[in-house]
Order: sequence, then C-alpha cells, then structure tokens
Amino acid sequence: MARAVPTRVKARNTAIAWIIAILIFFPILWTVLTSFKTEATAIADPPVFVNFQWTLENYVTVQERSNYFRHFLNSVVISVGSTLIGLAIAIPAAWAMAFVPGRQTKNVLMWMLSTKMLPPVGVLVPLYLIFRDWGLLDTRVGLIFVLTMINLPIIVWMLYTYFREIPGDILEAARMDGATLRSEVTYVLLPMAVPGIASTLLLNIILAWNEAFWTLNLTAANAAPLTAFIASYSSPEGLFYAKLSAASTMAIAPILIMGWFSQKQLVRGLTFGAVK
Amino acid sequence: MGRITLDKVQKSFGDVEVIPPLDLEIEDGEFVVFVGPSGCGKSTLLRLIAGLEDVTGGDITIDGTPATDLPPAKRRLAMVFQSYALYPHMSVRKNIAFPMKMAGIPQDEQARRIDNAARVLNLTDYLDRRPGQLSGGQRQRVAIGRAIVREPAAFLFDEPLSNLDAALRVGMRLEISELHKRLATTMIYVTHDQVEAMTMADKIVVLRAGHIEQVGSPLELYRTPRNLFVAGFIGSPRMNFIDGEDASSRGAHTIGVRPEHLAVSDSDGVWRGTVGVAEHLGSDTFFHVHFDGRDEPITVRATGEVALKHGDTVWLTPDEDRIHRFDQQGLRI
Amino acid sequence: MATQHSRAAARVMIAPSVILLLAWMLVPLLMTLYFSFLRYNLLMPGANPFVGFENYTYFLSDPAFQTAIVNTLLLVGGVLVITVVGGIAVATLLDQPMWGTGLVRIMVISPFFVMPTVSALVWKNMFMNPVNGLFAWIADVLGMAAFDFLTQAPLASIIGIVSWQWLPFATLILLTAMQSLDSEQLEAAEMDGASAWARFWHIKLPHLARAITVVVLIQTIFLLSIFAEILVTTNGGPGTASTNLTYLVYAESLLRFDVGTGSAGGVVAIILANIVAIFLMRMIGKNLDA
Repeated sequence: MARAVPTRVKARNTAIAWIIAILIFFPILWTVLTSFKTEATAIADPPVFVNFQWTLENYVTVQERSNYFRHFLNSVVISVGSTLIGLAIAIPAAWAMAFVPGRQTKNVLMWMLSTKMLPPVGVLVPLYLIFRDWGLLDTRVGLIFVLTMINLPIIVWMLYTYFREIPGDILEAARMDGATLRSEVTYVLLPMAVPGIASTLLLNIILAWNEAFWTLNLTAANAAPLTAFIASYSSPEGLFYAKLSAASTMAIAPILIMGWFSQKQLVRGLTFGAVK
Repeated sequence: MGRITLDKVQKSFGDVEVIPPLDLEIEDGEFVVFVGPSGCGKSTLLRLIAGLEDVTGGDITIDGTPATDLPPAKRRLAMVFQSYALYPHMSVRKNIAFPMKMAGIPQDEQARRIDNAARVLNLTDYLDRRPGQLSGGQRQRVAIGRAIVREPAAFLFDEPLSNLDAALRVGMRLEISELHKRLATTMIYVTHDQVEAMTMADKIVVLRAGHIEQVGSPLELYRTPRNLFVAGFIGSPRMNFIDGEDASSRGAHTIGVRPEHLAVSDSDGVWRGTVGVAEHLGSDTFFHVHFDGRDEPITVRATGEVALKHGDTVWLTPDEDRIHRFDQQGLRI
Repeated sequence: MATQHSRAAARVMIAPSVILLLAWMLVPLLMTLYFSFLRYNLLMPGANPFVGFENYTYFLSDPAFQTAIVNTLLLVGGVLVITVVGGIAVATLLDQPMWGTGLVRIMVISPFFVMPTVSALVWKNMFMNPVNGLFAWIADVLGMAAFDFLTQAPLASIIGIVSWQWLPFATLILLTAMQSLDSEQLEAAEMDGASAWARFWHIKLPHLARAITVVVLIQTIFLLSIFAEILVTTNGGPGTASTNLTYLVYAESLLRFDVGTGSAGGVVAIILANIVAIFLMRMIGKNLDA
C-alpha cells in the first residue's frame, strides 16, 4: 500500500533528482543548443545558453559540404537492414526453442550467447582480409552482414524470452479449437508476439545504429554510416563547434527518441533476461 | 454422441512411467470426474484423451473411431483450461467464434450460436470486451462458451475452478452441473478437490500415481471405498483410521470410522477422550478428540450446536454397521 | 506437448541461426589463430613463413603491451566503480517519490543512446578543450589555470567519458531490480524497527546483488572492447598513455599492417574476454533454469 509522502520530502527529492538529471543530460542539451548558434557564438566567452540569435545555417552547411544525407541513409539502411534480416533468421529459431524445447535447447542458447562474448578485435584481422579480398570493404552489404551476425544472438535471446511468456495453454487451446499449425501461428501466436517482436526490432536498430567498431574499421567515404562519418570531425573540423553540434544532433536525435520508448526492453535485451 | 474408451493407455516421459497401462470406459452423456492428489497423473490422462500428448502405448477410441493418432483438432473434443487460455488479443465474441471459424461454419450460423451461448452464460453485455477486462468468473464463462459452440462429442475440463475464489467456485460448480443436465453431453472433469468430485460426478475415477484406485458413483465410493487411500480421500472431514486392539477385535488390521458415524456423549460410550479444538459452524460442530496412547486426534461431527469445550471429557460410540474394515495391505475386507 | 513431427520442424527452424553463427565464429577465429603463427605483414608481400610463437613473444614483450594491459584494467575498473556506485545512488534517488519521474528518467538514460563517436567528440571539443571548452571557462571563472584533460590525463578523461555513457545502463538495470523488490519485505523490516539505512544495507543491497553482478559482467564485456572513444579523442596517446588492448591490436594490424602480431594480440584479447565470459555465462545459465 502506498503511503502518503510529506510534500516537503517529495519536494526535496524532486529538487535533487532534477539537478542530477540535468547534469547528466547537459552535454546532450548543450550540443543541441550549440547546433543553433553561429560559430562565433559557439565559442563565446562567457558561454551563452539561450539568449542568442538562433540559426539553422549549420544544418545546411553540414549537408552541403559533406553530403550528410548519404551517411544518414547508410545508417538507416545498415541498421534497419541488419535488424530485419536478423529477425527473419531468428524468429523461427526462437519459436522452435520456446515452444518445442529439447534437451539441447539450453546449450544452444548458451552457445549463441557465447559468440557475443568474442571480442571483435580478436577477429579483426581475418575479417578485414576477407572483406578486402571479396571487395566488401566500404560496402553496405558487408556491414549489414557483420551487424546481423553480431546482433543475432541478442535478437534470438530477446525473442525467446518474449515467446516463452506466451502461455502454452493458449496455443493448445487453439489446437483443441481445430486450428492447424498455420492458423495457430497466424491467428494466435503472431498477434500475441507482435509487442515482443516490435521491442526487439527497436532495440536492435538502436544497437546497430550506434555500433562503432566495425563501422569505423570496415568503411570509408562510400558506405560510412554516421558513426564513422562523425569520427571524421575528430580533427581539425571538430573545432567548428556549431557544425560538429549540428551533425551530432542529427545523428543522435532519431535514436534518442526511439531509445526513450524502449527503456524497458533495453534492460531485458542487454541482460539476456537476467534482470526483468 | 460421446463414448470414450481407453484401452491399455500408457504414458512415459523418458524413462519415467507416469501412467501404467490403464483401461477406462466413459459412457455417452456421463459426467466423469478424475480426482486425486497433485501429481497423480489426472491432468496427463486428460491431455492424452485431448490429443495434446502422444500416448506411449494403448488405444483411445471415441465413438467407435480409433482416435489414438488423430491430432487434437480432429477429435471433436472441446477443452476448458485451468488458466482459461483465452486469446488475449481477441474480443469475447471473436474468442467464442474462433473454433467455428476454424471449422468453416457460415457467418450467420456462427452469429446464432454466439448469441445463444452468450444468453445461456450471461455474457451478452460483454461480447465486445477483451478478456483482460473481465473478472475471473466471466473469463471462465467465455472459456465454456468457446467450448459449447463447437457442439463437441465431449467436454474436457482441466481444474477449471481452481483459479476462482471460494464463493464463485460454488456458483460455477452449479452452473457447470446445470449445463451438463441441459446439454447431456459427455464431460470429463479433472480436479484435486473431492467436494467438486462428489457434488458434480455421475462417475468418479480416483487416481493415485497413474493407477486407477477405484471407479464408481459418488455414493458407492463413500459407502464402500475399496482401500485406505480412497477411504481417506473421499469424504470431508477425513475418515478416522484406528489400528491395534480396536481393529483386531473387529477382525481387521485397520478400521475406519467417518466423523459423522460417531456418537458423542458426556456420560458414557465406547471410547473415552478429551476434547481438543472444537469448531462450531452452527449447523454442525466438529470436535478433535484426543486419546491416551494416540498421536492424532479423532475427528467427530455432531449435528447442530453442541456445548462441549476444550478440555471436557467425552465418550465416543461408533456406528458398528458403518465401520470400514481393512486388511494388512489396506484393502477392504 | 511436443510430438515427433514438431521436433523435426524445430530442428529445421533453428538450423539457419546455428549454421550462420557457427561459421561467423569459427572461420575468423581459426584464421586469427593461424595468422598468429606466421610472419605476415601486408606491407611486405612474399612468403609468410611459420614462425611458431615469435609473434606472441614479440607482442607480449612489447612495453606497449604492458601499458595496454594496465590501461585496459584501469579503464574497465574505473568505469565499473564509477557506474556501479553512481548507478546505485541515482537509482535509489529515482526510486523515491517525486514530481516528473518520467522526464527525469528520460534525461538520465539519454547518454546511453548517444553513439560513441559523438559523445567522445562532444566531450573532447566542447567540454575538455583547454581553450574553448566549458571546463576551461569554469576553471577561468574560479581563477584556476585551464587543464588540458586529454594531454595531461588522457586515460582518466576517457574513463570519464565512458562512465557518462554507461552510467545510464547501470542506473536503469539497478532501478528495475530495485522496483522488483517486494514492498512488503521493506514494510516488515520497518515493523521490525529497521532504520532507513539498515533497510538499505540489509534488504535493498542484498536484493540488488544479482543485478550488480549482471551490470559488472555485461559492462566488462563491452568495456574490454572500448575503441571508438579512444580513436577519436587521443588515438591512444600521448605515446601509449591511453592505449588499451583493443586499440593496440588495431594499431598493430591496421596501422602497422602487421597481421601476424595483430593476430597474436587478438588471441590474447580473446583469452582475456573468455575469463570474464565464463562467469557471466554461469550467471545467465542459472537464471535459465529458474
């Protein structure tokens, strides 16, 4: 039973929590604000917060000078593509493991998880050479493949934990009601699994969008997604704060918003169901 | 028609035999209850009949047609699950319609049967709600509605009342009994609650560890339990068992006396003891009477209000005609 | 519920995932292992003779390797301490009744969704830059000399950046675990006369033990592979002051094109990661039975 909390205590909690939260969030806020400043205002001393001449010119410049949209599109294609392919491979596997568990199911799941523990740098050299020899370096196809494989274990696991929550009783009821395997899947299983599949989709797009080891090492100008493109600001363009901020804001905004919606799934997905 | 025959049906999970070969005959229109403690195999047996589990050996015949290898969908049986197993993403109407949709029954016929079932089950006002918006009792009714509309050869109930609270359970028990009288369709009902078994069944099948201990009408089981297990399981409060001299003097290894077959007196009788806990229900009074040299108290049921209290001395006299006698193996003599 | 037929179907459905992952894991792994025993440099074409453990001796005796190991441990350990302690503190705070919980939560978890290259660059330029950074301005206001974070304390600065990214993860998981604590347990403890501190220490913290272990293990897996943050801020420097194992192997293989040594380093990294992985897998495996 919830008890009434004295307003004074609640006010104190609120004040502390907001201060901490704003401190944690500040770098993002500052980046967004700076993206609307001129380069001169961006490095003004003392710094200005909101009382400046707001401008969109940085966004225009970033696009014009660097073909920003191309990299944005690369990010979309690579993250969405790898996630969809991953789902297509993982859904049947997760379905089978959740509803027709065998003696080996647990071992297979654990083994899949173990592939995720392999440090990427351990296979950097051969993968780089394979990509070089097969002409996959700096291609979207190559990256989609790599990201599919590194996220596949997470996708299988997330789907498995979601599918397992669908009571077997309901599928049996469908069978008693005369449903064939096909109608059991179409009318009963899939509609019930939609929320789980959607969460898995969302989380994996986020993970793929932010992946910054393989994207940095396997792409150059052509297929570089935003992670790799932004890295090119490391010097000396990075000193153009307003432009760096505009490019950064565009790179993180879509995923930040998706992330806000998937807080709960994030916990489940990244802890492999160990914390719910 | 719904005549179901089990012929040497057997089930093992791996090396573990949960149901040794078992024969059972279920007549058309009969209300059969499988009862037994948890883990006795009653649910497994029901699932074998349903076709949700493969039998390891033996044959199941439904209305004379071999059904052993038929998938559940083809057996013309409807099942009500303990968890109700309603489809959470469908409205009540769609839930009830689902089996008819699978069977390809025309729309207008579907609508007619849904209306009919809804009227019988008091669901008319809830047809457009989702299962999540219903109370436990209403969900139960939807599950039954979904079973009725198929017009199956037999209904299977798997502990359908165990998720309801006590008051609702009594009400639903009556409703299911009434439904059986009206439809006169075979029903197989699984429960661990002997009260449900006694009140609803035409025929009770008492199971223990996959074995059938006894089959019979509720009163047959009450009057002539075949062994100690059935004697202790059927009847509430439990039958009192007495060993030793009192038993051997009556030519048995153990005798059993039901609490309602003991007369209580504060002045004279056969056995003398001390009242422990007394439970006054108004209509009845239960005494737990302690005896020297006996660990367990003997339970006595007296009709009406009896003014004996903790610590009083009482005399008990068994109704000699209704004493059950068992031999060393626990079998009825 | 399973029948012979459904088992066969299940096997067919699992096969693609298993075969793909098996190939993905085994092929590069065996190649890395094979290369690690060759003298193989992309800049020097020609034969790649078998040299036994030469690459390993070379890699392990390189002073940069020892620095990298120390840096890796400091980076992982530092970030773990900051995020776990900070995470418990922030999660406890968020678990209190207050106004605007939703918004506060959103702000707190946001850094986790910022891609590593962006967060590293934003911190490097807009905060840590000794001339135009916000920190320099704050130092100036306080009358102190500006501090060149990435030159004078490169590793500590990177630990700071990475901690900012991972604090939300720890907070979110610990908060989820906290909220799963049965409030009746806390009320029972209160009835038993436990103070707020005693309740935290004897009930909340033990309840969190599992979640903390999960946070530590999962973060370790990711933190061992920190790369982008180092690449865009310090390039592992000055010298090797902020080079971790991952970055060192990258430098050997793709900057010096020494495939043999890079592969040997990769094998070393795999062995280190596996030590952590064994513990993590055991935790998760236990949970699977429950």
